[in-house]
Amino acid sequence: MSLTTEVALTHISRRASSLLPLLSAVIVGFTVCGLIAKAVGLSPLLMLTELIKGAVQGPQLFETIARAVPLTGMALAAAIPLRAGIVNLGADGQMVLGGCAAAIIALYLPAPDIVRLLVALLIGAGIGGAYAALAAAGEILANVPLLLSTWLLSYPARGLCGWLVRSPLRDPITAWPSTHRISAGVRLANLIPGTPINQGFLLVALAAVLIVFLDRRSSVGYELRLRGLNERFARYGGVALSRQTTWLMFVSGAMAGLVGAIMILGSQFRFTDGALTAPQYTWSGVLAALLAGGEPLGTVVAAVLFAALQTGGFAMERSVEIPRVLTMVLESIIILFLSMRGAIWRRGR
Amino acid sequence: MTGSFLNAAFFDQAVLGITPVLLAALAGTLSERVGLFNIALEGQMLVGAFAAVAGSHFGGSLASGVFAAVLASTLFSALLAFGSAILRGNDIVIGISLNLLAAGLTSFLLRSLFGVSGTFSDSTMAALPRLRIPLLAQLPVLGRALGQQNALVYLSWVLVIVVAIFLARTPWGLRIRGIGEQFDAAVTLGAKATRYRILVTLAGGALCGLAGLQLSLGSLTLFSENMTAGRGWIAVAAVMLGRARPLAVAAACILFGMSDALGLRLQGEGLPNQITDSAPYVVTLLALVIAGLRERIDAARVVI
Amino acid sequence: MAFLEMIDIVKRYPGVLANDHVDLEVSKGEIHAVMGENGAGKSTLMAILYGLQSPDEGYIRIDWKTVFFRSPIDAIEHGIGMVHQSFKLFESLSVWENVVYGREPRRGPFIDAAASRRQVAALAERHGLPIDPMARVGSLPVGVRQRLEILKALYRQVRVLILDEPTAVLTPGEVAGLFRVLRTLAAGGCTILLVTHKLNEVMAVSDRITVLRDGRVTERLLTAQTNAAQIVRAMTGRNVLLDVASANPHPGAVRLELKRLVVGGLGRRAVNDVSFTLRGGEVLGIAGVAGNGQSELVEAIMGMRPCAGGNIVLNGHDITLRSIAQRRAAGVSYIAEDRIRTASAAAASATDNLAFGFHRRPPIAVRGLLRISEMRAWARTLIRKFEIKIASEMTPVGTLSGGNLQKIVIARELAHDAPVLIAEQPTRGVDVGAIEFIHSELMRERDRGHAILLVSAELSEILALADRILVMYEGRVIAALDRAEANESILGLYMAGGEQQAS
Repeated sequence: MSLTTEVALTHISRRASSLLPLLSAVIVGFTVCGLIAKAVGLSPLLMLTELIKGAVQGPQLFETIARAVPLTGMALAAAIPLRAGIVNLGADGQMVLGGCAAAIIALYLPAPDIVRLLVALLIGAGIGGAYAALAAAGEILANVPLLLSTWLLSYPARGLCGWLVRSPLRDPITAWPSTHRISAGVRLANLIPGTPINQGFLLVALAAVLIVFLDRRSSVGYELRLRGLNERFARYGGVALSRQTTWLMFVSGAMAGLVGAIMILGSQFRFTDGALTAPQYTWSGVLAALLAGGEPLGTVVAAVLFAALQTGGFAMERSVEIPRVLTMVLESIIILFLSMRGAIWRRGR
Repeated sequence: MTGSFLNAAFFDQAVLGITPVLLAALAGTLSERVGLFNIALEGQMLVGAFAAVAGSHFGGSLASGVFAAVLASTLFSALLAFGSAILRGNDIVIGISLNLLAAGLTSFLLRSLFGVSGTFSDSTMAALPRLRIPLLAQLPVLGRALGQQNALVYLSWVLVIVVAIFLARTPWGLRIRGIGEQFDAAVTLGAKATRYRILVTLAGGALCGLAGLQLSLGSLTLFSENMTAGRGWIAVAAVMLGRARPLAVAAACILFGMSDALGLRLQGEGLPNQITDSAPYVVTLLALVIAGLRERIDAARVVI
Repeated sequence: MAFLEMIDIVKRYPGVLANDHVDLEVSKGEIHAVMGENGAGKSTLMAILYGLQSPDEGYIRIDWKTVFFRSPIDAIEHGIGMVHQSFKLFESLSVWENVVYGREPRRGPFIDAAASRRQVAALAERHGLPIDPMARVGSLPVGVRQRLEILKALYRQVRVLILDEPTAVLTPGEVAGLFRVLRTLAAGGCTILLVTHKLNEVMAVSDRITVLRDGRVTERLLTAQTNAAQIVRAMTGRNVLLDVASANPHPGAVRLELKRLVVGGLGRRAVNDVSFTLRGGEVLGIAGVAGNGQSELVEAIMGMRPCAGGNIVLNGHDITLRSIAQRRAAGVSYIAEDRIRTASAAAASATDNLAFGFHRRPPIAVRGLLRISEMRAWARTLIRKFEIKIASEMTPVGTLSGGNLQKIVIARELAHDAPVLIAEQPTRGVDVGAIEFIHSELMRERDRGHAILLVSAELSEILALADRILVMYEGRVIAALDRAEANESILGLYMAGGEQQAS
């Protein structure tokens, strides 16, 4: 046997051995959720069929794709630092700040429409990134663990934006606390008429391709991967951990902020308090990234599957009145099962 | 600040705010001491809060609510014990997924059992009754806060002392501390380390069940989605700030309770609640930053 | 007359037969040495005796009764105690808490602290092991910690005491003290198993010797009737002792200079006012008992630990405030002491491990992008050159033996071709063949004009390789010697801090 075929074979067997626990986790997840549904008097079989039909049947497929855009974005926001062993639990706040900033720019920047749109996207990403970098500074200067600081920083960010749309920025016509509506010229254009898919799809797809490529082929991606495997080794080899943490958190927060901006400029058209966080993209994103251990391509695949699950969940709730939060239960059981088997991400920091 | 600003209601509010965080932080302290990093406190509490309301509603009595809260949270913690104590999986991944599982599960059950989303309240349910402690209750300003709380509040204070003595003075406490500091050393001396870890995790679950009970039936009688609102994470921060020493952890929890009450008080003064609601999180963050900076300065002093 | 017997013990690990039908027979009150090179199987055998591992075949008999140990708890029950090479102590706890842990005297539900302290003090007194029961273990020096480990075993009323390489962390003076204690214990009826690879110690203290090689018993000897040469032959299968013949050094320009370097530590300075110069073409050895500031010194030179004072000059540049990457770029490479935690990523492939540090410049990277085929070719070249036994360059390095993993680390660090090499315990825990290989690689580096700073706790290694020797004690350099004037006894005296006696 030549060396290359041998390597290829071990590669395949490694793939297979990593797919097996995944498959069993999915089966366990569905089984447990079925049992939960049955326990409260709902039909597990109905749950399953409605879930699948609702995710892929006819126009629902476009719905899934539209949902996959922010979810993939948030999953990448979680995966970027996770690759190096860092957990960002504050993407909620970073996304809200990004979305809120984008709405303000889109509404009030005195500039041509297209400039407003581009600046709104840039500032949205920038604000989200800067806020995440703040948590990195906390860890570097005062040893505050990112796990805690990112989470805790989410609250004031959401509180601030919630106050902004209640008092100074409030559109008095609406029942909900929200900003004025963004005019048509400053929105991300629709890509396929009759579907909710807009240019945000292209932005996230571009980001995903770029991240997957850099992860596999760049020196930086290689450094991050080795840091994730052994941080002391990375430091010993000369990686400046603090600087890397800072920019990693910036990129992660910027991704989250960009998702916020895309949702505001592409589908919601106004910043409404709580509307960005309600679909729980952040948490499905974190779970998708954990599922893939921060590996970008795997993260994207997991995110798309979770998006399908969410779309199916909505349909299931509409048609057979099974609450869609069951999909969140399903996702977390899958991750829980895998982490217990040690199949993902053995040890944190 | 004026006397009327820090009035009886302020301190009462502070004590109410302290209790759930304190109970969860005690659970976190025990975990930390036995060498497990428990970030699932939030989820364990949430399960307890929901079970308290469900138990009380379907069981028809406060006692059934208490029982359900402790039982459900302990059972939920068995997942944590299985994953992190027995299988030695990654406690951060397990913690995150358990928190999300708790959030999803309680929302799901809220909708399917009670047919509501958001908040469920039942006016026929009884909250934990307030008890009057004769002398304390007559104190000026602090009387209501210290002398007229429910049994759980007093229990939480007693538990701080009990946990402190348990860890410092009993053989089991010594073994727990040893397991947490040097797992291998404890094992080679014959300590049944995994068994201790399981028991501590389950006991922590019971404590978090009580924390949840205090949230949902402590003074109000309702459950709302994600009503823990980060208190489990603040408990994690309190364990860090107090370096897993029960009295110091309790002090950190008092800081949190005060800032919580301060937020509410400022809201009464006309500040928007979106801003004041952030007070406990910001105060916790600042405390972590200050503690971290002090540590660094101390470390620098050690240098020469 | 046998008191303890291990009969026909077999233990297999994936790819290794660690114990191949080993028999060990020890009498009551005997000091029995178990000898062998690294990887000979003596640690596995002791782990089985202490219940940390279970044998695949064979059994243990104590006092003619067959026993089965599922865990150390069972072994402790049967009166077996073990002092591990890396101490297993709770540093934040006091001495008495460490001793009574798991068997605490009680008063009601509480620990009877007063009684505990009394018992520990009495036990220490009786066996001539002076120690303060109230002291916090974290503040104790290594020698006292070992005393504590022995006390822990005595508190549990051991009949058999296993000591795994007990002298590795001791000064010669402390070694003599330990041997006195062991003889007293043995005279009192305690059976002692001494696991070691040091000849002179075995000759000095043991009654009988069992020698292992490649998992098999190669010799059983009465100490009184044997000699060092016979033991070495049994251990290595060869007649010659390790000795690297090195030509005289030709020191060149100064490559590394330390000026009054200070590194902070807990309680006292870890490195206190250390100055030296290192020239190209010479090996400067740093001797000392582990824990006297050597690791901190090396980490400070590499930038992994901040300096509190003084300067480091590398190839003419002051690098005191530079980052790790800048220091490496300025011409220093580093074989770290802990190859698993620091110097490699176990789950990553050999390719990934070997390319680290070369991944930002051609030929491996061009304009920030990796060239995967170059990377793998690079790894294959190094694997071939350093004779690393590995399935392919894509195999994770965590599967390798200690010697082969160390070769990965050394291959990568030497490939930098840096004018200064810091080698910290370069042969700890590797087999004889790899030691020879590594030593000759280091000498070749020296003869090419590179400067080598060799930190080693093994005096034999220092004496074999170093051209000049510094001895560190409590953070200071207390002696500087040329190789010609150094020998084991002089170095041993300095390692114990014996400044006055030596001068």
